Amino acid sequence: MKPAPLPAAALTRRSLLLGGAALGGSFLLSGCIGGTPSPAASSGAGNTSTTLTLQSSLSDPKPKAALEALVKGYTKQPVTLNTVAIEQFRAQLPTYLTSANPPDVLTWYAGSVARDYASKGLLLDLSDLWTGDGACAKFSPALKSLSSDDSGKQIFIPTSYYWWSIFYRKSAFAEWGVKPATSWDDFMALLDRLKGKGIAPLTNGTGSTAWMASGWFDYLDLRINGAAFHRELLAGKHSFDSAEVRKVMDTYATLVPYFDPKGRSYSWQEAATPLVNKKAGMYLIGAFVTQAFPSSAVNDLDFFSVPAINPAVPSAEEAPTDGFFASAKSKNVTGAKDLLSYLAAPPQQQSYVEASGSSNLPTSPEVDTSHFSPLVQKGVKLLQDTKEITQFFNRDSSDALQTTADTALTKFLDHPGDVAKILKDWQAAAKQVWNS
Amino acid sequence: MSAADVGTQSSAVSPPGPPVVRPRSRFGRRPVTRRVPAGVWLLLIVPLLVELAWVFWPAFNSFQLSFTKWSGVGVAEPVGLKNYQTLLSDPIFHTAIQNNVIWIIAFGGLSVVIGLALAVALNQPRRGVGIYRSAIYLPMVFSLAVTGLFWRVLYQPDGPINAVLAAIGIDTGQHQWLADPNTALAAILIAAIWRQAGYIMVLYLAGLKGCDPSLEEAAAVDGATWWQRFRYIVFPQLRNVNTVIFAVTVIDSLRTFDIVWTMTRGGPYNSTQLLSTYMYQVGFTQVNLGYGSAIAVVIFLLAIAFIITYLVRATREE
Repeated sequence: MKPAPLPAAALTRRSLLLGGAALGGSFLLSGCIGGTPSPAASSGAGNTSTTLTLQSSLSDPKPKAALEALVKGYTKQPVTLNTVAIEQFRAQLPTYLTSANPPDVLTWYAGSVARDYASKGLLLDLSDLWTGDGACAKFSPALKSLSSDDSGKQIFIPTSYYWWSIFYRKSAFAEWGVKPATSWDDFMALLDRLKGKGIAPLTNGTGSTAWMASGWFDYLDLRINGAAFHRELLAGKHSFDSAEVRKVMDTYATLVPYFDPKGRSYSWQEAATPLVNKKAGMYLIGAFVTQAFPSSAVNDLDFFSVPAINPAVPSAEEAPTDGFFASAKSKNVTGAKDLLSYLAAPPQQQSYVEASGSSNLPTSPEVDTSHFSPLVQKGVKLLQDTKEITQFFNRDSSDALQTTADTALTKFLDHPGDVAKILKDWQAAAKQVWNS
Repeated sequence: MSAADVGTQSSAVSPPGPPVVRPRSRFGRRPVTRRVPAGVWLLLIVPLLVELAWVFWPAFNSFQLSFTKWSGVGVAEPVGLKNYQTLLSDPIFHTAIQNNVIWIIAFGGLSVVIGLALAVALNQPRRGVGIYRSAIYLPMVFSLAVTGLFWRVLYQPDGPINAVLAAIGIDTGQHQWLADPNTALAAILIAAIWRQAGYIMVLYLAGLKGCDPSLEEAAAVDGATWWQRFRYIVFPQLRNVNTVIFAVTVIDSLRTFDIVWTMTRGGPYNSTQLLSTYMYQVGFTQVNLGYGSAIAVVIFLLAIAFIITYLVRATREE
């Protein structure tokens, strides 16, 4: 560059400095995603005392449309529905709840997550909806205790749940001449038979959805050590490096050779494809698997519960429960409760279950289930007959603990022989989560 | 390129003949506040305030947060340097740092080399060269998330890549590119370079257009080989483009997030974790904002170190 006249030089230097500041600034921006959101500035639409805000994480097309239809049908007061992608919702939820002007009603999960927020005084006490002629008064006691916080108040309104089981295609089992297993020995024999026919006995999507590896972990722990131990383990009262967990992992290791190895690259949706194409035999997954099935094959889908391993352990099933809670700082408490009552009422539950496309179960016993599919009716019965209900690894603990499980379990699936070190590392990582 | 344009323009505009009165002598030494019109100050102050409010203030908060323990609820609890101490002994953080170094070298190096080679190859006027250029630039049009999803399908064990390799006689045994910790990072790198190379190519093409062809011709007449002409005639003329590309590449390497997140989410078992993905996981999946901020601060310091070295070099050369 040629030397420019002085004022221009000054300008260059200044613009260089400014440019440098802007450049540095853009780095600050890229580095500061974890910054403090100012409490007042966040949280969706400006809700006055008359307009209610419903913050929803149901961003999949069908559930989203189903909730939109319900909100449209609610005419008592204006409601603003904000649908946020689930990942963002999860990250923003603390901000929503602590902001000065929070959404009144929010979708989320029952169990330890809701309890955690309740213990910080962020959730509205909804006990009156659970007594007398409240919307949830007739819900099962199991749901009531699930929706209660540590002090016994109800802070959650469950509106639908689903079950986990081993899903298979009836026509495929008929072709192969095999039957669902009723005992653990049966199950192992079934795995051997399918493998002998050149079929991958089990499919799983532990690639981009690594949490799927926890499905088998949860169930084996429920069958070997029981639901009480499982809950305590996830609450940090036992070590992952204990003899009990080691036993679970040893059983898990006997299953590893039967998994379709390609599942390590799949998401849960992709892992359903071998099941649809009859290249894989069975899939331990939640009832939401029907979303990944072509409609022509959904009626061919059946399931059986993970067989008992130790008959002395009471039966238990995973039944993650979805629903709503309300913010303690809602400016329109009666309005929020009225909206919750509306959403929990039998007709709304029924239309949501039908429109959302996943095989969710209604929580209200008054919903007429007679024209639900046989699969869903069988699911209802499974959960009615079981002694214990758990949620799922992350819902019974925390999303932070789930990441430690994802690392430990996917590593274990690749290297079952390293179990001792994996459990030691898992416990160390879990300890950090509990202490942080 | 643009800096060069401005340079030539200003020299063209500079008054011919003897300078009569220089501005400084006419106005004397007046304070800078009065020398610059009020309107200009306004135009400078507004963006500065926006910058302060939207960039520096959150960044400052992030620094503060990194010395606390905070889950997004309640009051952040100060913990001093504990987050940074934890970082030192965190095996995932070590993997992430290591991967970031690999990433900057491989992603930066390869995309620049490939982009430059493509630009030189496609700089000749030939029939259909436009089609090649746009085809190579096309991947840049897709967002990184789309690129990631697209390559994830290609890398599936029964996907096209294994099928093509099998067709030309390389049996990979349905290799799981993204599920094998030994190949996952390289597999993502290829996808990222595939996208970036076209962009670098366009930048270099623009630079090559600004090169004086007569210099190269003269060298050719003097008997310089192709490589000598490129190395000593063309490449030095690309200096301005090189500095732009250096900045773009460092920024892009350090902020890489979407493509890793959509392809592996940092897995299998954290083997493809970059600082950015690990920060996201800690900060937003685990909602451990203090520790996440500490990682963000490390990213910031790395970026600023690169940029300061770059700025110092650039200003010294001027």
